[in-house]
Amino acid sequence: MNVELIEVTRRFGRTRAVAGVTMEAGPGVLGLLGPNGAGKTSLLRMMATVIPPSSGRIRLLGRDPGGYGQRRQIRRGLGYVPQNLGYYPRFTVVEFVEYFALLKEMPPARVHHAVAAAVERVGLGDKARAKLATLSGGMLRRVGIAQAIVNEPELLLLDEPTAGLDPEQRVAFRALLRDLGQAATVVVSTHLVEDVGAACARVALMDRGRIVFRGTPDELAGRAEGTSAAGDAPLERGYSAVLAEVRS
Amino acid sequence: MSRGGARTLPSGSPPGGAARVGLRLAHLHLASRRVPAALAAVAACAVGLRIALLHGHWTAYGARQLPLIFETGCAVVIAATTASPFGEPERATGRWLPFLRLGTALVLTAAAAGALAAAGTGAHLAGGTLDVLRDTAGLTGLGLLCAAALGGPLAWAGPAGYLMVALYALYTQWHGPALTTPWIWPARPPHDVGAAICAGLVFAGGVLLIAVRGARDTVAGS
Repeated sequence: MNVELIEVTRRFGRTRAVAGVTMEAGPGVLGLLGPNGAGKTSLLRMMATVIPPSSGRIRLLGRDPGGYGQRRQIRRGLGYVPQNLGYYPRFTVVEFVEYFALLKEMPPARVHHAVAAAVERVGLGDKARAKLATLSGGMLRRVGIAQAIVNEPELLLLDEPTAGLDPEQRVAFRALLRDLGQAATVVVSTHLVEDVGAACARVALMDRGRIVFRGTPDELAGRAEGTSAAGDAPLERGYSAVLAEVRS
Repeated sequence: MSRGGARTLPSGSPPGGAARVGLRLAHLHLASRRVPAALAAVAACAVGLRIALLHGHWTAYGARQLPLIFETGCAVVIAATTASPFGEPERATGRWLPFLRLGTALVLTAAAAGALAAAGTGAHLAGGTLDVLRDTAGLTGLGLLCAAALGGPLAWAGPAGYLMVALYALYTQWHGPALTTPWIWPARPPHDVGAAICAGLVFAGGVLLIAVRGARDTVAGS
């Protein structure tokens, strides 16, 4: 398993953002659904080794991120796109992706080709020389994804990756996710249930810091049967039904 | 977005050895921290000090306060460069980032101290080069500590606040009772060992904290 979480809790002051989450994930795309404030972003940040858990145990890529040496190994095989990606506007697309490739300690001989491949893979080959300041919001999201996949990560963490993408880009991105999920563990936090239905083999639903459902998208959709849950699509109705059940 | 392979793309770095790649990484890091602009600002501070020394008529009181203002300017500039535009994805990378932060802080501090000391050459710089080195290092350390605690954009608060305290401490030397603690090092003589140790400790603490932890993230959502 590339991700193993055992009773993981994260507090910010008196607020418990993640409350005893236990889960495992192997290769494939796992969708992390949940309302605002459910704890998805905090869970992803812990998996990205950016913040430590307040309690519980995390193992990523078979290693313990609590130790410096093992954390370093994990980070070499990690890709992470946060909800709000920062960028230096005077970098070109290639410079931005190259900077992350070098920081991730890729072998020098591979950097040039890997940067080119990542930029092509997110469909920005014709914008390779463009300054980031000149790109649209959707293009910047794709640049962020390029930096995350440049090292061909074994564990890829994406927080709301389709926000700002137009429908055509979103469809292409789902195809990319499915492709990446063939070899790596991809965890995608999203509000958009259609992303989950189209790209994720497994789904986990969070509410108030806990995982309240885990299964396949079809199983989630099936939870709406026999209920009057709100939603325009089966997955949305399943999502609403599970939340209504745990909150009742 | 495509699944296709890579075609040849323009890149700033041709394939090369580890040394060339290391230089390329350093170049990109320095550019992202706006270090060229910071060096220009440091040079402007030095030119300002030079002009003030050559063309101003300073009393003994004002002559000791004057360099402090330009040293504070340099410290604020150095601390501001610690802000990362990338946020958490940059922190979730390998081992090089702490060394890049350390190198950036040391190089800029050395440049600032050197430029300010050079600005005083041949002019009456109260306290001399030793004073400039001590005060610049100490003020920069405060700025770095502030950047670690508050983030790069607010890093000016520490040096600016300390400047007020130091100016007042210098004032008390003429209008007692004098403040004499070595932690207010600008008010002590250049050869005062206690003041040099205090300034050195603050600088070392600031540099170490910035190298290990970096400036507090201020990218939205981080």
